[in-house]
Amino acid sequence: MMIRFAMDEVKHVVEGADKVNFSGYAQVLFQSSVGWDLAKYALLLVGAIILYGFLLFLTRQTIIVASRYIEFDIRNELYEHLQRLPMAYFATHKSGDIYVRVTEDINRVREYFGPAFMYMVNTFTRATIIIGMMFWVNAELTLWALIPLPLLSVMAYWLSGYINRMSNEIQQQYSNLAGRAQESFSSIRLIKAYVRELFEEKRFADEAEIYRKKKMILSAVEAMFFPMLNLLIGISVILVVWKGAENIQSGTATIGNIAEFIIYVAYLTWPVASLGYTLNMIQRSAASNKRIQEFLRETTDIADNEQTQALKSPIKGKIEFKNVSFTYPNTEVAALENLNFVIEPGEKIGIVGKTGSGKTSLVQLIPRLFEPTSGEILVDDIPYKRLPINELRKSIGFVPQENFLFSDTIKENIAFGVEQADFTEIELAAKKAQVLENILEFDKKFETILGERGITLSGGQKQRTSIARALIKKPCILVFDDSLSAVDTKTEDEILSYLKNELTEKTTLMISHRISTIQDCDRIFVMDNGSIVETGTHEELLTRKGVYFRIYSKQILEKELLTI
Amino acid sequence: MTEKNSKKAVDSNLIRRLYFFIKPYRFLVLLALALTISIAFLGPYRPLLIQRAIDDYVVVGDMEGLKSIILLITAVLLGESLFTVANLYLMNWIGQGTLFRIRTSVFNKIQSLHVQYFDKNPLGRLVTRTTNDIEAIDELVSTGIVNMMGDMLRIVFIMYFMFTMDWKLTLLSLSMIPILFWATSVFKDKMRVTYLEVRDQVARLNSFIQEHINGMHIVQLFNRQKVEFNRYQGINEDHKKAHIKTIYYFSIFWPLVEILSTIGMALVIWFGGASVLIEGLSFGVLVAFIQYVRQFFQPIRDISEKFNTLQSAMAATERIVSVLDTESKMSDGNTELPEHVKGEVEFQQVSFRYLADGQDILKDVSFRLNPGKMMAIVGATGAGKTTIINLMTRFYDNQSGTILLDGIPIKDLSINNLRSQIALVLQDNALFSGSILNNITLGREDISLEKVIEASKLVGAHEFISKLPNAYHHEIHERGASLSMGQRQLICFIRALVFDPKIIILDEATSNIDSETEALVTNALQVLMKDRTSIVIAHRLSTILHADTILVMHKGEVREQGNHKELITKDDGLYRKLYELQYKDELKSTG
Repeated sequence: MMIRFAMDEVKHVVEGADKVNFSGYAQVLFQSSVGWDLAKYALLLVGAIILYGFLLFLTRQTIIVASRYIEFDIRNELYEHLQRLPMAYFATHKSGDIYVRVTEDINRVREYFGPAFMYMVNTFTRATIIIGMMFWVNAELTLWALIPLPLLSVMAYWLSGYINRMSNEIQQQYSNLAGRAQESFSSIRLIKAYVRELFEEKRFADEAEIYRKKKMILSAVEAMFFPMLNLLIGISVILVVWKGAENIQSGTATIGNIAEFIIYVAYLTWPVASLGYTLNMIQRSAASNKRIQEFLRETTDIADNEQTQALKSPIKGKIEFKNVSFTYPNTEVAALENLNFVIEPGEKIGIVGKTGSGKTSLVQLIPRLFEPTSGEILVDDIPYKRLPINELRKSIGFVPQENFLFSDTIKENIAFGVEQADFTEIELAAKKAQVLENILEFDKKFETILGERGITLSGGQKQRTSIARALIKKPCILVFDDSLSAVDTKTEDEILSYLKNELTEKTTLMISHRISTIQDCDRIFVMDNGSIVETGTHEELLTRKGVYFRIYSKQILEKELLTI
Repeated sequence: MTEKNSKKAVDSNLIRRLYFFIKPYRFLVLLALALTISIAFLGPYRPLLIQRAIDDYVVVGDMEGLKSIILLITAVLLGESLFTVANLYLMNWIGQGTLFRIRTSVFNKIQSLHVQYFDKNPLGRLVTRTTNDIEAIDELVSTGIVNMMGDMLRIVFIMYFMFTMDWKLTLLSLSMIPILFWATSVFKDKMRVTYLEVRDQVARLNSFIQEHINGMHIVQLFNRQKVEFNRYQGINEDHKKAHIKTIYYFSIFWPLVEILSTIGMALVIWFGGASVLIEGLSFGVLVAFIQYVRQFFQPIRDISEKFNTLQSAMAATERIVSVLDTESKMSDGNTELPEHVKGEVEFQQVSFRYLADGQDILKDVSFRLNPGKMMAIVGATGAGKTTIINLMTRFYDNQSGTILLDGIPIKDLSINNLRSQIALVLQDNALFSGSILNNITLGREDISLEKVIEASKLVGAHEFISKLPNAYHHEIHERGASLSMGQRQLICFIRALVFDPKIIILDEATSNIDSETEALVTNALQVLMKDRTSIVIAHRLSTILHADTILVMHKGEVREQGNHKELITKDDGLYRKLYELQYKDELKSTG
């Protein structure tokens, strides 16, 4: 740090020095000196500026580069923290806000370490040295020349603050405008049906008008900036010429001094104007930094702690719920109420029930994505909070409802959960999930990139890829959260027969809307309103003629209808 | 070659199209131009005056004369500042006004397009046309062109002043300009490449973050934290490197510009100093030249930068123009319905497909619905139920067959006239942001609050609406998420009721609603359908039982037609199957 300060010192001494030469030149010129003197001073001037340029280069290469290194570290720290946050955090915060924290806010903080710091140092050293020089040359003239400058700084501070606030408002109005258009376009049928196009036009035009007005205010303020800067500098120059002339009359100054002062003032413009701007930048950085610090303080409560015990033997897959209730954070209605059941290793459980009956909530508790609000979950008779979380999750193959795949190759997506997977394993998993044929149809096969920059898989293909991703882990517990809904019945049968024949050892929980998917399960849970209302095998449940029976009869008819 | 030519033709076409929107401001544009010229003159004029002040008064010691010229300089300075403020404001006034005109035209154009256009184009793209694309031309229409002209004029004036003072010194001080141009072009390419690299890296980093926020549950479920962190670090590293590379070029370029302009200045001092001795060049001229050399470099740098923004603005203009040029596929008829519409609806062998060579969505659909009667359409998903609604409201036009309202083909009617006879209640019961009242009247001012309340009482919604904060002026947010499905539906019913149409078209909500709301809605429906012709895509048993006629659709065709009693007795009938599938259960649980 000291080196950098020293460097700036040198830089500005040199910079100041060229002005001295310059004034010297002017005096020499007035005393009718010879031509080679001129060349000498001109060269000195060039030499000084080259040195200055070189030092400026070094400054940027150190301070700004350093700020990028700092940014790099903060980014890593924040991302690492993000990965540790429990799902409850993601459920209670808008993804947009989290995104801003991990991207925009970091940029702001970097500005503090980079440009803001550089400008501050620059401003103070430059201003000190130049003003020092000016005083040394002519104190009275200096005072006159400096009169408009504090105004400039204050103005820059005020304007840039106002511009920031106004920009935020404009941004807000911009999203209102986009929201307006979005709403109209998405309800176009209704608008047309009620012949309300003109009304919608007016509503949109009103928002657009507010936007226009706000933009006008902003540009009016922005329009002031450069002319005012120009004006204040211009006033300074005029004062120099006027007062300089008086001083020349009284013999306390030379014409060279005037030239020199005009240049001094020009050199002072940017440091002084950037002072106000920089102060604002620092304020914004501070606000961002505060938000980042808050984010870093978010608790990562789902993690190993001192109660965690090392595994004595591999997890076998017994799951027990004891009085488990669960309420999502920031909601009041319980998603699960007082659940009690034991699932033996290797047992196959089917779960059916209406949307919102708690099926997904139930299975999400098992890999500790969420934790029960009350009650206890035991895996292999150990309270699962005492199990190392990595081991617990390693033993679970989870196929979530929303089949989230990353924009990466199919290969990478399938091998997502295993550290080292050879190609045959990936191929095998794809085959078992009945997605191999589809993959081989793509030009690049397993190297096909998915997502925005690649191809979009159909719903069924996504589901099966996501199943392959769970299978390759060779887990002892498998969870399918309505994972076959977009798969046609023939493929479904194939997947199911695989599961039946090869996964005999594995505990399986399978949520489905289709009875046909789960009717062969060892036991079926029928859920309603956060509770399990019926349990039993397919046959048992049918004879009971309850909820399950009704769902079943409906689906049988539906199937029949399709064959007409 | 041909490609180049056609591209050029498009460009001039684009400018012409833009001019249409600027046209109302053409006199203000002329004023802005006049101001720009004045400013371009006044800026370089000041150093000239200062030179005179020094040479003619300071050197001679004429304090009285100095006072007057200083007043003049101050006046010029004030004038320049005022003009600049006024000019910038004026340009923004023109610019923002033009953007407003373009924006509303694009919105109105999109809104006027046929419904199929909305099915084909993703919502996001349409919104972008009214937002992002307009922003992209902001600079072009507000300050871009005029500023570029200003910059060029400024250079011309500066050169003029310099040449009139001393041509030898001028040439000398301009000798650095070619080098500046060369340096700019070399660095511009390099900086462009690194800039693009930075942009890519920023996008990569941000999309990684975006994706991993959304997919964090997968990362955690599969214990991938370590690997993903390493990947992130890699991307972060590339991002850092790209930035550092840019910093490198910037930290060479800016000092270089500084150095070049100083060399120019040094040359002026060196040669100018000698000129003072040899030719008696005045000292004031030297001071003026020093200022000019600095003033000269600025506009040259600006122009090259602005050229880039202009190019991207043209691309956006092209997209906007292509929206404005989209042809609406619906032809409007000019027959007006008589004042008293009876509400008789008839389909005569109507067929429809989305694409000319595509599959038939409707095949030879025929039915007749007498005034005041209610028809329920039933059938599985994809049977063509919604298409019937879309044709009736002329969201789409059928390829063959005729649809008649009171015996008049609807294609002959003016679309607005037709639609004003129809009230549509859609399945999603979407509400707009705004007050409940506005949601009901959709901004129609001839519908009074009293009428709304009356209708609201009729459908049984008055009670819950009165309990909301601000009652009918209660603001709806997020498409009415705070209201229940049943409540939203009732509001849509009130809307249909106050518009008082002859025909009601209703797509019933599929989702289950609780029995209390069910009773409310059933009751409200009866109020709504009284004395009106109604076509209902039915999902609820009670609706079907009330229907005068039931249209059973299957794969685009009408399979059966008749009332419940007639249809249920057909042993192997489709209706009977459907009935058992969808409604029997309902009958059991409610009855």
